[in-house]
Amino acid sequence: MKRRDFLKWTAVSSAGLALPCGLPALGRIAQAAQGPDLVVAKGASTPQTVRAALDALGGMKRFVAKGDVVILKPNIGWDRNPQYAATTNPDVVGALSKLCYEAGAKKVRVFDNTVNDARRCYRQSGIADAAAAAGAEMVHMDSRKYRDVRLNGTALKSWPLYGEIFEADKVINVPIAKTHSLSKLTLGMKNWMGVMGGVRFRVHQRLDESLVDLIRVIKPTLTVLDAVRILTANGPTGGDLGDVKRLDTVVAGTDQVAVDAYGATLFGMKGSDLEHVRLAAKAGLGVMDLSKLQIRRIGV
Amino acid sequence: MSELTLTRARRIVQGLFLALFLFLFIQTESKGTDELGWPVKLFLDFDPLIFLTTFLSSHRVEGLFWLSLILAGLTVVLGRVFCGWVCPLGTLNNLAGSLRRKRPKPPGPGWFRVKYYILAGLLASSLFGVQLAGVLDPISLTIRSFSLSLYPAASYAITSLFDAIYRLNLPLVTPASEAVYGVLKKTVLPFQQPWFAQGTFIGLLFLGVLALNLVQRRFWCRFLCPLGALLGLLSRHSVLRRSVSEECDACGACAGVCQADAVPAGKDEWRASECLVCNNCDDVCPKNAVSFGLMKGRPRGGLDLARRNVMASVFAGAFAVPLLRISPLARPRMSDAKIIRPPGSLGEAAFLQSCVRCGECMKVCITGGLQPTLLEAGLEGLWTPVLVPRIGYCEFGCTLCGQVCPTGAIRKLPLEAKQQVRLGHAAIDKGRCLPFAHATPCIVCEETCPTPKKAIWLEEVAVKDREGRSIRLQQPHVDLTTCIGCGACEKHCPVVGQPAIAVTSAGESRTEEHQLLLRAPAGTPCA
Repeated sequence: MKRRDFLKWTAVSSAGLALPCGLPALGRIAQAAQGPDLVVAKGASTPQTVRAALDALGGMKRFVAKGDVVILKPNIGWDRNPQYAATTNPDVVGALSKLCYEAGAKKVRVFDNTVNDARRCYRQSGIADAAAAAGAEMVHMDSRKYRDVRLNGTALKSWPLYGEIFEADKVINVPIAKTHSLSKLTLGMKNWMGVMGGVRFRVHQRLDESLVDLIRVIKPTLTVLDAVRILTANGPTGGDLGDVKRLDTVVAGTDQVAVDAYGATLFGMKGSDLEHVRLAAKAGLGVMDLSKLQIRRIGV
Repeated sequence: MSELTLTRARRIVQGLFLALFLFLFIQTESKGTDELGWPVKLFLDFDPLIFLTTFLSSHRVEGLFWLSLILAGLTVVLGRVFCGWVCPLGTLNNLAGSLRRKRPKPPGPGWFRVKYYILAGLLASSLFGVQLAGVLDPISLTIRSFSLSLYPAASYAITSLFDAIYRLNLPLVTPASEAVYGVLKKTVLPFQQPWFAQGTFIGLLFLGVLALNLVQRRFWCRFLCPLGALLGLLSRHSVLRRSVSEECDACGACAGVCQADAVPAGKDEWRASECLVCNNCDDVCPKNAVSFGLMKGRPRGGLDLARRNVMASVFAGAFAVPLLRISPLARPRMSDAKIIRPPGSLGEAAFLQSCVRCGECMKVCITGGLQPTLLEAGLEGLWTPVLVPRIGYCEFGCTLCGQVCPTGAIRKLPLEAKQQVRLGHAAIDKGRCLPFAHATPCIVCEETCPTPKKAIWLEEVAVKDREGRSIRLQQPHVDLTTCIGCGACEKHCPVVGQPAIAVTSAGESRTEEHQLLLRAPAGTPCA
């Protein structure tokens, strides 16, 4: 995004906000003030980049109301330090927690059903410290809180999912962008495997369809894709800095399919290259065609 | 009653040491970093029986074992104060013994000597290279029993109770119980329920030891404990001595309260080696004729061990060595597929000579995959740790088992070195593997493989299903130059029951003879 575009957009949206609402002629401008479909923010300071991305989307207040219980669901599946890009960047989680509290959230809870030992994943990912610093609650999954949820999907009829994500006021998906040998990439949709209970490695037999089935019932308020560092090979576990690429980028939007479709481009792919994205778009669960989206790119 | 008698002081000290023991026990658990932050094996470090037998069998001295020399020296001066005031098993025996009010008569005047014969046998076998002391050492015994049985059972009981209240979802009650449960989870309960093979058996043995107190108080300490025997030998000429003044009218009050077979009523026959310095005789004496103080001279009451019995014990201990070593498992170059030792373990022979079966490694294992053997590693390997990947794999970034091992049977390795250690290799069972046998996609073993360059690689192939339809999918293969045998693949393999990928010890880096490849991969410490 060029600075001139940014200034222009800021001026237009400020003007839109300054005018009295409800006038039909201003409807379209008011829509613009709500924010674009996707924001792609790039900057050296991750917390500032996250903040700018949310501002461009209309501010966290658009998503989080006073007194809300908000769940942040990062990808903390593996016992790796942040520089290996196997887990969501802790600064992204920290910045989002702060923004939620600033928007009036009562409580921000952070969790993931990890593959490696959860204690190690939480600590080694840096997310436990980042969450604590921002005042968010980092909680371990409680095996009693999974409940069978009817999905009526093509691959999954029902599955035990973590109850809290249906009970919370707001849910924000905070995945990291990595490679995966079966789904090709793990982005936002794939991150929902972290709220699955049961023998979840069985879903790999029909992984793409299963991911689509999950988002039939899991509707996050917002998806913030961490592409500060992306893992380009040996995913999703990583472990080799040679496979890590630094992009300093955060992609945010309300359409989880659109975020994933954009995420594919970070790896030189198209959304349609990812079968789960293609199927999700086909099922009407989101928009895959980036040309139909209003995408705002900002530099911080 | 508020007067601080020596007995009361002793009970307070015993309580404090038991609390310390339990505290260190509970701290033997990861909090997410690779450090525990507490000297969790402190009681084992102070144990001279473990030091002596490990030194005899392996000729090695581990870092903190000079601490056990402090205890030995202390015993030479003060007698068996460790038994009477410190030992957690002794304290538990006291507690169990208090369940029975009536004090039965001693089973026989000479039974206290049995523990010396046990000690003689253990020392002889360790001299010839078989380390069995840990089976009976009270510190090993207690930590093992707590780790593998009592603590898991307590956790199960408490968690079941709170789960039941949670399910009932009662107003006021459930929120309150959940609050309590939350506090317990943060303090005394384990992070996750531990499950151990033989937990039931080891627990019954420990309860049996406690139950012996109903036959005779401190039965274990009086008659069986080999550490007590070692400390008894050291305390024969202790300077802290009991004396009885002229006031004594031989009322016999002290005989009934003696926690061991020290013959307090016999005046001159008092056995320094048996006295636990519990001070019961001092406190109970109506004439106040008994006192403990520093003095010279030899006590009269000797051990009077029968030379014949000592020799028989030594022979028995020595003969145990060939008897145990004729197992095929002890044969040279023998490699048993399922004996997957913790990362950093010594070669099997040296490992068995050092492991004292304390259970610390199994307690601390972050995935719970380290399990005690029964006879899988031979009787000589009783209760030694093996990795059972189906229960838990070896976490790539964790070195805790090597940190808590008191004897160096599992070496303490820096993380980078540990990550090079091969516990064995994974092998795929193509008859069970979904992409190989059932034309069904699955890449879970590859996905969970933790090595930076994945040891499991995928080959894209076209296979046909029953109807002859062509299906493109990926089939996994194991790269032996990269696989470290951690078992993450086996643990997560969705083929339930017998997995489609499993680790065996073949290729383990600790033994040159167990290599699979002609050119062993980099990081073979033995090479």
